[in-house]
Amino acid sequence: MSQTETEIHAPSTTQAPKTHELKPEPSQLGFMRPDHSKSVIMDWLTTVDHKKIGIMYGAIALFFLLVGGVEALIIRTQLAIPENDLISAQRYNQLFTMHGTTMIFLAIMPLNAAFFNFLVPLQIGARDVAFPRINSFSLWAFVAGAIVINFGWVLQALQVMGLFEASGPTAGMTDLAPAMGWFGYAPLTGTNFTGAGTDFWIMGLQILGIASLSAAMNFVVTIVNMRAPGMKMMRMPVFTWMTLVVSLLIVFAFPAITIALGQLMFDRCFGTNFFVVAGGGQPILWQHLFWIFGHPEVYILVLPAMGIISEILPVFSKKPLFGYSIVVFSGAVIGFLGFAVWSHHMFTTGLGKVATAAFSLLTMAIAVPTGVKIFNWIGTLWGGRVRFSAPMIFSLGFVWMFMMGGFSGIMHSSAPADAQQQDSYFVIAHFHYVAIGGIFLAVVAGIYFWLPKMIGKMWKGNLSTWVAIFSTVGLNVTFFPMHFLGLLGMPRRTHTYLEGFGWETYNLVCTIGAYILAFGIFLLVVDIIRCFRKGEPAGNDPWDARTLEWATSSPPKVYNFAKTPIIPARDALWEDKYGPENRKVTYEDDHGHGIHMPSQSWMPFIAALGFIPVGLGMSLMQAGVPYMGYVAIFGLLVLGFGIALWAIEGPGGYHMHPEVDAA
Amino acid sequence: MKQISSGLTHCIQYLSALTGILLLGGCNLDTRMSTFVTKGPVAETQYNLFMLTVWVTLGIFIAVGGAFAFAIIKFRERPNDDRPMPSQGHGNPLVEIGLIGISILLLVIIAVPTLKGIWYTHDTPEDPESFMGAWYKGEELAEEESENPLIVKVIGYQWWWAFEYPQLGITTANEMVIPAGKVVHLELRSSDVIHSFWLPRIAGKVDLIPGRTNSMWIQAGDNYLRWKEKQGAAGPEDESPSLRADYAAYLEGEIHNYYYGQCAEYCGDSHARMHFRATVVGNEEFAEWVIDERTGHGTPDGKSWDDWYTAYADNPDSLTGDLNEGLKLFMGRGKCATCHVVKGNPRALGVAGPNLTNVGSRMSIAAGWLNHRSEEDGSIDLEKQYDNFYNWIHETDVVKPGNRMWKAGGGGIGELIDENGELALLTEDEIHKLSLYLQSLK
Repeated sequence: MSQTETEIHAPSTTQAPKTHELKPEPSQLGFMRPDHSKSVIMDWLTTVDHKKIGIMYGAIALFFLLVGGVEALIIRTQLAIPENDLISAQRYNQLFTMHGTTMIFLAIMPLNAAFFNFLVPLQIGARDVAFPRINSFSLWAFVAGAIVINFGWVLQALQVMGLFEASGPTAGMTDLAPAMGWFGYAPLTGTNFTGAGTDFWIMGLQILGIASLSAAMNFVVTIVNMRAPGMKMMRMPVFTWMTLVVSLLIVFAFPAITIALGQLMFDRCFGTNFFVVAGGGQPILWQHLFWIFGHPEVYILVLPAMGIISEILPVFSKKPLFGYSIVVFSGAVIGFLGFAVWSHHMFTTGLGKVATAAFSLLTMAIAVPTGVKIFNWIGTLWGGRVRFSAPMIFSLGFVWMFMMGGFSGIMHSSAPADAQQQDSYFVIAHFHYVAIGGIFLAVVAGIYFWLPKMIGKMWKGNLSTWVAIFSTVGLNVTFFPMHFLGLLGMPRRTHTYLEGFGWETYNLVCTIGAYILAFGIFLLVVDIIRCFRKGEPAGNDPWDARTLEWATSSPPKVYNFAKTPIIPARDALWEDKYGPENRKVTYEDDHGHGIHMPSQSWMPFIAALGFIPVGLGMSLMQAGVPYMGYVAIFGLLVLGFGIALWAIEGPGGYHMHPEVDAA
Repeated sequence: MKQISSGLTHCIQYLSALTGILLLGGCNLDTRMSTFVTKGPVAETQYNLFMLTVWVTLGIFIAVGGAFAFAIIKFRERPNDDRPMPSQGHGNPLVEIGLIGISILLLVIIAVPTLKGIWYTHDTPEDPESFMGAWYKGEELAEEESENPLIVKVIGYQWWWAFEYPQLGITTANEMVIPAGKVVHLELRSSDVIHSFWLPRIAGKVDLIPGRTNSMWIQAGDNYLRWKEKQGAAGPEDESPSLRADYAAYLEGEIHNYYYGQCAEYCGDSHARMHFRATVVGNEEFAEWVIDERTGHGTPDGKSWDDWYTAYADNPDSLTGDLNEGLKLFMGRGKCATCHVVKGNPRALGVAGPNLTNVGSRMSIAAGWLNHRSEEDGSIDLEKQYDNFYNWIHETDVVKPGNRMWKAGGGGIGELIDENGELALLTEDEIHKLSLYLQSLK
């Protein structure tokens, strides 16, 4: 419900009874809506509350972060010594494929989504996102995609136990979990090179793409339309700005991968020849389509991290962000240039001189707005009062480590130098400095910063310091030597290596580092559990923060703000606390109209559930399981009916009349 | 607690810096696939560019990292801090523009040599010194080739390499031989999935993509003109016998160098085991090698191939001795000739697998995974070579999982059947004889 409507209804004189207990009402289909349910499970499955959806995104993403982490540990253990035979080549290949896929699509993206969901409506003073039921659909579609993409492991386990063997189009293939690398280069993804694992990957990724796209459009609309009065674009918190940029990136980047995956699915299931060389197909087409998606994807992962850091540094320096407008602008420029550098992933594919030169220069250019952000973060600290609370320690670690990842990025931008680095451990070092040193540390900083707001409890003790030490030391011990491994010629994605190439010591050190890092993450999990169990009440504003989400209670009530805030300036809460009188946050009078709340619904959940039979059906059909085509069609019907009933049941909604004081 | 945390933050940063220094100081950079110690102009250009980026970023690291560390220490909150609230400034446009300007300037420092490097490494140089006519000492070179450099067609297979020399009419596998100091033009193709040709000490990688031909050039050691330029020789008048002699001595150092390469693009199960090698030899030795490759092999007891095949058909038992037994297995029960060429042998013509001409002279088998080059003098360790052949034939599927020599859908040696249709793998004695025969191919 927008503010305009509130104003239209302003003269309303309806006096709602103050102690009215809300009861479920029937939808237009005649079923009772699952509102105000006593059952906790039912409540969470049908919720449209952006905060609950955010928390579920976060919890599931953390689970997959651990899954991806365990996969990484097995990989590192295998590589600890030369010619190790702990796991087979195929198992190793599946592990690195799923490690990459899991970390990117099932851990980092949903962790970002968790922050988007929880924070954006609070930061802009909105009651919820623009489309609450689509939000619920995005979450459950993500879960469906995660199940489909990981189902290959189940099948692989059955195959190892001798209970399953692929027949049909992929007869004789034994890779039932994906084993072609997270960027799935054609023609290795063809049916004559890989088995049903590839089909699980295609279907799972396609479903995850739908989840991301629907969520992204939701956030674009929310940020553009749902801002509280006075919350002009240039007053928005930087995190919200980055959410907007990332959402637009998703909207523009995902169609490329959707098309590529569609073509690949047609190649595998229906005999088309998009990437089949014998049929005149072009494997290189896949690389272009994939990286037109894939490079913006890198910024889809990292811009929210930059947003988080841009929120935390000012709070713990007691200063506004240095150069707010240029930080916002550079974020947008990064997003834009992100679409113009995809071929730097392809410098070794024989692009020709001119294309190589162009992409080389553009890649260098993108270092400028990234550098600008780092300068501005330092500018924020400069002259401030730096407090070393847990979120700040991780944020400072982020700036340091992200800078190192950025430097190796500049090294890649020189195409001839990249010819030696491409597909070697050097790039592994580069993107793990960005992914762990950058994104992961920022996400942890975000967790330390906002968890008290999310659950209303404050951290206990200073275990966070040990988390910081183990994860930062672990990350450096693991990935710094990889620069040298790469430059000494070790190619990535090799399940083992020979003695005598000078790689033994480095690999052993990397493996030790991986376990140190893992211990740091273990401590993080312990700390989160401790906070849940033993945390003291956090209060509204435990960090003396600056933005609007800290103005409401912790955890925020289901309606976020009892009355719509009117925003007088950037850093609204800070100005309210310390600013001049004319910059206090005021609240709109609702004239007794109350808050219009969206109704919960089963339909998004049911529709998203339909993706599971679609994905599994298509993939299992490729593995030769009978009748699976019908299962896929059944899934499509579930999806279709879910969406149709969702449309017919009507939006519903009810009013709440909190008696809370505006503060 | 705040004090502790601040100390720890610094401690972390200090530790990461220290780790870096230890790693830099304590490691040997002259290894088999090192990109630091280069042996050719392409890799050297790439290395120089890399080092340029290292110095530029190191400079930025010190400046920006220093400012960052300074800000953290200088502006930290102190106990009982009662200083006034920091000024709530929103930034300074001049500082911003200045920093953006400096960033762009630093990137230009990298960009200009990068562009030069792209052009230099991309096109095979027109180098008269490297034209076949200028150095190739063998016979039978087509007239029109005398003004071309040596061309090698590199073809990637899951998981091995074919090296064809179209100008010379020869093909070898997994170990290429190239002349020292000469520009060699490579044409890269793939027969199945994407592979990548990476010979780090000579040149960075270029992909082998099915359905298209990529190209690159390599040169092991410098050509004379380039080398002379590096010596600071003034010009043509500086041409002296002693300079020529120095160059010859320099090249001698590059000769017989054995370079390690590996596939760098993930290509399926045994990607990790898809190595290759390049041996760099002098002009004359190269010509000899070409003749060897062209001539190929005779029969074990010196019979003509016709006689041998007649005997093989009429009375195989008359062909005795381990090598004859091995050859019989090669042609018969082992089905080796279905997929492998042995030059000279008129019926070993299969092209699905690596060319085995002179396989006994190679320093490694199984695409560089099983090695028998002795580290002391670069000669072949015969015992190890025998073991490698034996192990390879014995457990092909273990050495290289997914390999088509083991299971090719009815044609692999893991699928051999007897007259009754029962699985009948090669016996130990048969493998022994085959190994001896393969060792003799040199």
